Amino acid sequence: MRPTFSDITIVIALELIGAILLRFFLLADDWRIVGGILLLFCAGFAVMQFRSDWESRIGDAFNRGTRLAVGLAILLVLLFPLALNGNTYALHLLIVSQLYAVLAIALNFQLGSANIPNFATGASYGIGAYVSALLAIHFNVNFWLALPAAAVAATAFGFLLGVPSMRTRESYLALVTIAFGVVIHQLLNNFDWTGGPNGLVGIPAPSLFGHSFASPIVIGGIKLPSQANFYYLSAVLVGIAIISAQRLHGSRIGLAWNALRADELAARCQGINVIWYKVLAFAVDAFLAAFAGTIYAFYISFISPDNFTFLVSVTIMTMVIVGGMDNIFGVIVGAFLLTMLPEKLRAFSDYRILFFGIVVILFLMIRPEGLFPQRLRRYGGSE
Amino acid sequence: MSGHAVLRGEGLTIRFGGLVAMDGVDFVLQAGEILGVIGPNGAGKSTLFNLITGLYQPTAGKVFLNDRPLNGLPAHRIVQMGISRTFQSSRLFTDLSVLDNVIIGMHCRTQSGVFDAMLRPSKARGELRQAAAKAGELLRSVSAGLYDQRGRAASELAQADRRRLEIARALAAEPKVLLLDEPSSGMDDRDTDALIADVRAIIARRPELSIMIIEHDMRLVAELPHRVMVIEYGRKIAEGSFADIRNMPRVQEAYLGRKATAHA
Repeated sequence: MRPTFSDITIVIALELIGAILLRFFLLADDWRIVGGILLLFCAGFAVMQFRSDWESRIGDAFNRGTRLAVGLAILLVLLFPLALNGNTYALHLLIVSQLYAVLAIALNFQLGSANIPNFATGASYGIGAYVSALLAIHFNVNFWLALPAAAVAATAFGFLLGVPSMRTRESYLALVTIAFGVVIHQLLNNFDWTGGPNGLVGIPAPSLFGHSFASPIVIGGIKLPSQANFYYLSAVLVGIAIISAQRLHGSRIGLAWNALRADELAARCQGINVIWYKVLAFAVDAFLAAFAGTIYAFYISFISPDNFTFLVSVTIMTMVIVGGMDNIFGVIVGAFLLTMLPEKLRAFSDYRILFFGIVVILFLMIRPEGLFPQRLRRYGGSE
Repeated sequence: MSGHAVLRGEGLTIRFGGLVAMDGVDFVLQAGEILGVIGPNGAGKSTLFNLITGLYQPTAGKVFLNDRPLNGLPAHRIVQMGISRTFQSSRLFTDLSVLDNVIIGMHCRTQSGVFDAMLRPSKARGELRQAAAKAGELLRSVSAGLYDQRGRAASELAQADRRRLEIARALAAEPKVLLLDEPSSGMDDRDTDALIADVRAIIARRPELSIMIIEHDMRLVAELPHRVMVIEYGRKIAEGSFADIRNMPRVQEAYLGRKATAHA
């Protein structure tokens, strides 16, 4: 179906408003401006809560104008660093947000699609970071080779975690993954070859076609700080994560995951090999998390076990719950919000954990499906 | 009825600790036959279905599908081999659309794996689109009303339509044997009549399909099955046509209790 004029207007307006708000949010120093933007955001959702017809109107507009929406989004992502007045801290926040977005999408395969409470995403993230960092430091492996190697290693760990987890369910499954996360953290802390609590330092910056990621980007007289390299790199990773998530969600595999989320016994009786699909969810989660870990390691150039604690896993889980289970766009929004908010509200940083706890409880009470709920699948032309 | 045994159980026994839930049950299901399974609550009728579909592994005894033993196979393999079922309390995927429920029923008749989905999305999507078209056809053949609601979430369906959807989902796996576990439970007389008509329409299209049906509603048991077997305390106590069964003292005892029949 071709988008109508009002579809186009809705898509363009919403994306521009989103980008502009994000810019002011990032550059705001005053907590009152931050609070104001947050209030605006909350008001938007309150309206959605009461006017579900608007919500579906917007949904339809994006459905019909998908190409325009994606094209404009890519353009905005490309141009966004130009609007930040060379503020490197804002860029840093964006990079971390994007990496968390990838982690949240990774966890969404499990928590959102298949309802597997995996508290070990932080561990997979860490394994990815350490494997690539070790390869780079000791074997001079460059970033582009370390990336897939780390992903393969983490996926293997994902299988390793998935197989014993299959003997347990629900709360017990959660406990197994918590234990796994803690064990990985302790191992990283105690092995000599991982640098112990000191971690690994001096991870070399990647380079592409002779351009080092440690140097600024200069195009036609416009100079962007070196962080912009990693901003674009992580944006590409988010793109890859979105495409993978959509392809899996829109396939027989996504359906099988949803089936076992709704009713595991009934899923078995439809011919779904439940164990295989659960292990698969672990593997996919680990695969994507390792990508994020690798980029993180090469970006910060220093990693330690404290970057990959149990708390990281809890944070990622909060992002998925807040954003919307099994809604890709939702979990990205959740990741951005929960990465930036604690940074912007530094004054209250002592209460960070309390804040996460309250947010999760509020969401489970008021909007249990998250900011952006899952939508039913549609098949071309059949409806 | 074309007289060869599609599904056969020999001495099926299962113990849960000290409890013998099923004790040496033999049965045969012919191609194109409808076999009714009746018995008081807790007699072991659903246990029998769980044994056939691989949800339980029998302590002793064997199940054969077309003379191939099924023992030890996991539930999802047994579906693939051609035995589908519905559940006593409907177990739909309530947060998915009606159409998706049927497409999931086709899981073992579709192929795409992870690598297809990620690297050859056009192939995976094409397969799913075909499945969606087929699922639509199947829904239409089971019930036009259900087909019209195919885009809605399964949780929004009325009770009778939930039953229909569960049957449609089971048929999506292209089974040789269909096990219906109390399809009329929670239905009024009118819905039950509609259900009988639905099942008749299904077998009219699929003369080779064999059906086992657990029922309490005697109207349905009188109308649909060719043969009925009666289970009590995990044992088969009688088997035959409904007309013969209903007059057997043992069967009346099982249903009404010993005293009631003694007084009668």
